[in-house]
Amino acid sequence: MDNQKNIYEKLLPIVVLLLVTTNAIAQKVVRYDLYVKDTIVNFTGKEKRAIAVNGQIPMPTLTFIEGDTAEIHVHNRLKVSTSLHWHGLYLPNKEDGVPYLTQMPIEPNTTHVYRFPIIQNGTHWYHSHSGLQEQIGMYGSMVLLKRTDDLTFRKGIDDLPTVPIILSEWTDYNPDNVHRMLHNANDWFAIKKNTVQSYGEAIKAGRFKTKLTNEWKRMLAMDVSDVYYDKFLINGTSESQLSQFKAGDKVRLRISNGGASSYFWLTYAGGKITVVANDGNDVEPVAVDRLIIGVSETYDVIVTIPAENTSYEFLATPEDRTKSASIYLGSGIKQLVSPLPKLKYFEGMKMMNDMMKMDGTMNDMGMDMSLQQMDMNTVMYPEITGNKEPMKKDKMQKMENMDHSQHSSVNSNIVTLNYAMLKSPTKTTLPQDAPIRELKFELTGNMNRYVWSMDNIVLSETDKILIKKGEIVRITLYNNSMMRHPMHLHGHDFRVINGQGDYAPLKNVLDIMPMETNVIEFEANLEGDWFFHCHILYHMMAGMNRVFSYENQAPNPLLPDKKWAYKKLQRESNELHFMFQNDFATNGNDGMTMLQNTRWSFGTEWRLGYNDHHGYESETHIGRYIGRNQWLMPFVGFDWRYRKQNGDFEKNIFGQNNTKDNRTQLSLGVAYTLPMLVIFQTEIYHDGNVRVQLRREDIPLTKRFRASFMINTDKEYMFGLNYIAGKNLGFRTHYDSDMGFGFGLTLNY
Amino acid sequence: MKSIKILMAITLLLSFTACNAQIKNAKTESVKIYGNCGMCKSTIEKAGNVKKVAQVEWNKDTKMATLTYDPSKTNQEEILKRIALAGYDSDQFLAPDDAYAKLPGCCQYERVKKTEVILTEVVTDHSMHNHDSATDTKSEMKQEVKELKVVFDNYFALKDALVKSDGNLASAKAKELLNALNSVQMNKLSNKEHTAWMKVMKDLKFDTEHIEETKDVGHQRDHFNTLSDNMYQLLKVSKQETPTYYQHCPMANEGKGANWLSKENAVKNPYYGSQMLTCGKTVETIE
Repeated sequence: MDNQKNIYEKLLPIVVLLLVTTNAIAQKVVRYDLYVKDTIVNFTGKEKRAIAVNGQIPMPTLTFIEGDTAEIHVHNRLKVSTSLHWHGLYLPNKEDGVPYLTQMPIEPNTTHVYRFPIIQNGTHWYHSHSGLQEQIGMYGSMVLLKRTDDLTFRKGIDDLPTVPIILSEWTDYNPDNVHRMLHNANDWFAIKKNTVQSYGEAIKAGRFKTKLTNEWKRMLAMDVSDVYYDKFLINGTSESQLSQFKAGDKVRLRISNGGASSYFWLTYAGGKITVVANDGNDVEPVAVDRLIIGVSETYDVIVTIPAENTSYEFLATPEDRTKSASIYLGSGIKQLVSPLPKLKYFEGMKMMNDMMKMDGTMNDMGMDMSLQQMDMNTVMYPEITGNKEPMKKDKMQKMENMDHSQHSSVNSNIVTLNYAMLKSPTKTTLPQDAPIRELKFELTGNMNRYVWSMDNIVLSETDKILIKKGEIVRITLYNNSMMRHPMHLHGHDFRVINGQGDYAPLKNVLDIMPMETNVIEFEANLEGDWFFHCHILYHMMAGMNRVFSYENQAPNPLLPDKKWAYKKLQRESNELHFMFQNDFATNGNDGMTMLQNTRWSFGTEWRLGYNDHHGYESETHIGRYIGRNQWLMPFVGFDWRYRKQNGDFEKNIFGQNNTKDNRTQLSLGVAYTLPMLVIFQTEIYHDGNVRVQLRREDIPLTKRFRASFMINTDKEYMFGLNYIAGKNLGFRTHYDSDMGFGFGLTLNY
Repeated sequence: MKSIKILMAITLLLSFTACNAQIKNAKTESVKIYGNCGMCKSTIEKAGNVKKVAQVEWNKDTKMATLTYDPSKTNQEEILKRIALAGYDSDQFLAPDDAYAKLPGCCQYERVKKTEVILTEVVTDHSMHNHDSATDTKSEMKQEVKELKVVFDNYFALKDALVKSDGNLASAKAKELLNALNSVQMNKLSNKEHTAWMKVMKDLKFDTEHIEETKDVGHQRDHFNTLSDNMYQLLKVSKQETPTYYQHCPMANEGKGANWLSKENAVKNPYYGSQMLTCGKTVETIE
């Protein structure tokens, strides 16, 4: 007996020691060293600049086990500052990685250490939050594993072999230039994608009236995404194979969308795709034929390899369906899946016409859309609505009547995932007694000037939104813009109110389609300043952001002057964009240059003849765009012209005298965009003269031909025709009432 | 004479360059592509060819294809993938099943069968539970057949045909519905049912006849609109074993909106079919 007791006494410290060590192992510190460097890549046959971390794109996959402490040393070897944001993680605010909001930028040749405990599991990812660095390589997977003794551990799901998958896209253009071109309504990307939707193409498709209505409603041709990409990538490559898997294997793919602006359709050649988690949170398994993954969302899916000696294609197709990326699972002959057919753009245009009111707001026709359940773009999907676009005009009337019925090869059996199908396996209810803070945001935008905002306010025009620790923040989002937006909240998961009651799924990115209304709610339980923004990189940089700031929070040691830092943050998303154009023509030079941001426009136009008789003139306008649609722009102007004309006077149609030579004038005026996108401009000069002008540029006649005209009350007029030969080059012919007929070469930037 | 020589030389030169211009540093390979007939030949070659980059010549007897391509611009894999996406298997790629199915009958060559693995599904407790409850409801449903049940069932079949935008099927289903309507024995109806029946009977038959007469889905849908409204009147007073969902799409009927009845809560729109399959919502659940 004594002996036995002795043994117990001896064993006890050993047991304790063992317990302590396992604990110590569980709470181990996992360190990664990341070296951020400039690099040259060649995705397309051309060498381009990119950013590689530890020599690779995408950045290395970081793996942790729940309970670990992450210690990530970021060594910035770039010539510019950088940062890293841990997307979807709960962590102390100062580790969140948003420059000027949670830390100062990591300056060149310095090292910054992120250190935080891992208190969750699931598929996440990380990326640079500095400028447009995410577009050129700074994205990577981040896998937080569940502990095997976790109560929520799911046999048959959490013990499967897993593969991290990160989707992205590549453009040979410098992303800063992409950003600038988007703001200048440059349609070069549409030409590259063959989605100009010109009058010529409309007539050919029997859709002239659709196009006319579209322009009457002051819309430029739309696409489901804005940027032309050269390549789409799965783990950094367009085609790859995972040959370690064999027949009968189930594989769990941990998919993150690290694309800067592309949504991806996911389809699989080997049968159904079973979705088991979303944004790092488990959901009840749901089997679908396909799903769309929004920018910055993550989905965990399980796929099966059904047969021997065969590998099955897992296909990621961007929403615009221009190209795709594949990964083959298994070894042997490759079983392909059909690519998604090209979109029927004029069907989409017609739909947009029906939904757009004359005042530029959207009308959902009482459909109460939400949770991706009703995809209006379905009218553009040939795999669902059939291949036929009405081809001839005389057939059009007939087709209109049959519109909804006679499409061949229709397929209504494809099961597409939507948010209403996501259900958490555990209750996600928030504390019952907590005070509720209701917030409403209307997502707003202006396609023509690429302004993206919330309640028509961009970040630079608003303060942080104060919230209190302990309250429940319930946000109603209504998308009143023409594009879908993946709205992302830092530091928290929110519940998506989707009809699953207590089991509403938890997410940190919510894709919201045009005209949808969705409600999300989260408990304010993590102090700090948290970004809430559209994760389409170019929308974020246009100012579609807000900051939630906890009241009375402790100061952030990494950011001593928060007020100054917030101003910096605001300025970053309201940059001035430069544009230049000049036509070197036989009868003179026609050109303009402009600097614009969200509201302001500084522009100068010139017409420079080659001799004094033709004359020289310039008009400078400084204006501010008013209202949500920005159709109205009051401006102050400054005109200067010189022309040798022997002192003749000209009369305008109001009978006012007007010297053509040597004139220097100040003016006040207003420009207004009329239906058909004609700009109606009225100006009054300091000598009392009045000028009224109508003008339209860039009428899309065909894919590459653009027409333009101008006429005003000084009895001046101009007609022009431009052929777009390249991104920065065109050929133009025009007739000008002052300078006559001309032909020339147009350069634009 | 001299000029003719020069001309000939030039022509010769041009023809050489023309040949060369077709495909630079051409590489030639021979691969097997499965197919049947002359029609297959043109489809295969068209899918594989890219001007100045790749050219395919397929022999329908040997099933062998000669690939000529510029290795600096493409590779065998890319060419074979394009051909597979058009519906033709090779030793590297298997065509998607739907692409194969779309081939004309004569082109549907015999495919090499894949060895499927039989997966032993581990059924979790949770889904077992579902199975049990499903069988439970089935046994409950074996009750007396209600007089109007046949009518409603045929209505739902008609609705499903319209969801599929299948005019022929809708017409056939309408015929069955008409038979059901004609064979309703009024003395077996409850009082409430009888009153409702008398009100809507004529219109029900009218609309059903019209749906049967045409194969134009647009026309069928016009009648289905009023048919659904009347059916709703009837169904409301008739006791149901399982709930029925009264659903509404605000866009149908030229923006005036239209309703229908369904056994599923998930919306499948009979007025638009696949084009706007999920447009609409349940406005009333009839228990």
